[in-house]
Amino acid sequence: MFDKFKEWYENRHDYAQAWKKQTGGKVLGYFCTYVPEELLIAADILPLRILGSHEAQDVTEPHIFGMFCPFCRDCLAQGLKGRFDYLNGIMISQSCLHIRQTYNSWVKHIPQEFSYYMYMPHGVQTPHAYPYLRGELEVFKKALEKWIGRSISDKDIDRGIEVMNKNRQLMKQVYEFRKQDNPPLTGLEAMYMVVSSQMVEKEEHNQALEAVLKELPNRKLDRNTGTRLMIIGSEDDDTEFVEMVESLDSTLVVDEHCTGTRYFWNEVEPQKDRLAAIAARYIDRPPCPSKDWPERKRFPHILQLAKDYNVEGALVIQQKFCDPHELDMPALRQMLEENGIPTYFLEFDVTVPIGQFKTRVEAFLETFALPDLF
Amino acid sequence: MITAGIDFGAKNVKVVILDDEKIVARGSALTGFDLKIAVKDASEMALKAAGLKLDEITHITETGIGQGSVAFAADSVSEVGANAKAGVKLLPSARTIIDVGAEEARAVKCDESGSMEDFVVNERCAAGAGAFVEAMARALEVELGQMGPMSLKATEAVPMNAQCTVFAESEVVSLIHAQTPKANIARAIHDAIAERVISMVRRLGITEDVLLVGGLAYDVGYVDSMKRGLGVEVHVPELPEYVSAYGAALVAQERAKE
Repeated sequence: MFDKFKEWYENRHDYAQAWKKQTGGKVLGYFCTYVPEELLIAADILPLRILGSHEAQDVTEPHIFGMFCPFCRDCLAQGLKGRFDYLNGIMISQSCLHIRQTYNSWVKHIPQEFSYYMYMPHGVQTPHAYPYLRGELEVFKKALEKWIGRSISDKDIDRGIEVMNKNRQLMKQVYEFRKQDNPPLTGLEAMYMVVSSQMVEKEEHNQALEAVLKELPNRKLDRNTGTRLMIIGSEDDDTEFVEMVESLDSTLVVDEHCTGTRYFWNEVEPQKDRLAAIAARYIDRPPCPSKDWPERKRFPHILQLAKDYNVEGALVIQQKFCDPHELDMPALRQMLEENGIPTYFLEFDVTVPIGQFKTRVEAFLETFALPDLF
Repeated sequence: MITAGIDFGAKNVKVVILDDEKIVARGSALTGFDLKIAVKDASEMALKAAGLKLDEITHITETGIGQGSVAFAADSVSEVGANAKAGVKLLPSARTIIDVGAEEARAVKCDESGSMEDFVVNERCAAGAGAFVEAMARALEVELGQMGPMSLKATEAVPMNAQCTVFAESEVVSLIHAQTPKANIARAIHDAIAERVISMVRRLGITEDVLLVGGLAYDVGYVDSMKRGLGVEVHVPELPEYVSAYGAALVAQERAKE
């Protein structure tokens, strides 16, 4: 029942090209989940998150500093190799320096009819962030209107908000099932669900989610749940890794990734001023660590997730050289361990040495069984 | 005029003796612990082959990691400079010369006279150098010389992310355990090296013709991976490991005339 999501994820380019052909609409590639998809949907544009392909490549070295994260290089490689040639435009909402370099190189080397850099504030903990972002959304809306050649009405924006909120609600409902003692879905299936939502038309994704929600109450998986793990960290769509972890008598029951809960956890609370409502959603969302300061507001949220999903241990992962995550990790691991949740740290690259990681995860999982053994 | 070039490599010391621009003899010896012994062995071998005595050589220029350690060399030239000089002499149309030895990978962009325009040298790791193939040959339990021919028999491209030699070895072990055919693993290793090297060379820009030199160019698997990765024809001279020493000897010819 999760096959559809996997199929969308694996054939994202075919999907987007078919969508374009069928609707005659524009496809916009985006680099970070701070991009306000509500406005893109209001403009009848298909937002498509640019992710890597987890393949070794040799084309980005002239464009990106070697000690920038492998994810930003993997993304740029997709563009340089022409895999996103069908895009009509690209955009980024400021998050970190590394992915911004990907955006800048992309704009410079790959012709686009539209490109947009959105000034998403870093200081999301100041009250000034709300009016600031509202203003930026106004500017962005005007740029979109100019591009598509029509104005975007309040009704259009309401539709964008409604579709996005529904997608968030439905995915959250699916996540509810992961709280069960024996979740009827694996972490891998949940990952396919969330990453595919960043690639396909939201209405269609919502329909697939509704179908899944009908069947989930009666679904039983022919596998042991084993140790209940949480996975926390940088961008992560490494399905091979997740599959390996879940082959070792464990289940990923929840995550804190921008390819997971961080992407969809909160909704737009309706206000008369639509742009202010959207701005508030992005300012208040579970933050990327690049914006989570001076106070680490993400930590209590992570702990709450761990408690709600009855998490026994946490895999803390980061893309190599991802400074915002790296800076948080010592404190994050300490916080979790003080709360009785052992953690294990792994550094991700474009591809991971799966054999070596398997040994490490196995050993981590064995520590949970130790009291029984001795 | 007789000149000589000495190249101190990480693994071997190479000597080339020239009569004008013609190679009359070569010699090589394992670098080992004592550079003086290595250079003595390699030069004696070359002198013997040429039927010459040391004092009959007008000018000696050295290059490589041990520069300055031999009393009888008159001066030195950088490896990249020597590569450019020799590469263009061997293949006049060569504009990008890629030299991968035991522990270093280098590339030089040059003009038609063999003058260096720009260069890059590997910075971070050995994963894109010859020592890596040696380590991987040990992991696969095959002779070093078999790695190339074996990888040409690969039936499938296996992805590998050899960021570091040690991690790559553990990736190879995982592939062995997953019962991946040795030929496919050998190709994955060569592709990984080529990818590291090509990534680096792209900083210079790839200007044809491309000439591969250094000891790794003996490895047909690596040459094949480079050809596929670059998407252009690549050229390999005879005895590619002597190219730097030949370049140094050519520089010696020029300097002797000054």
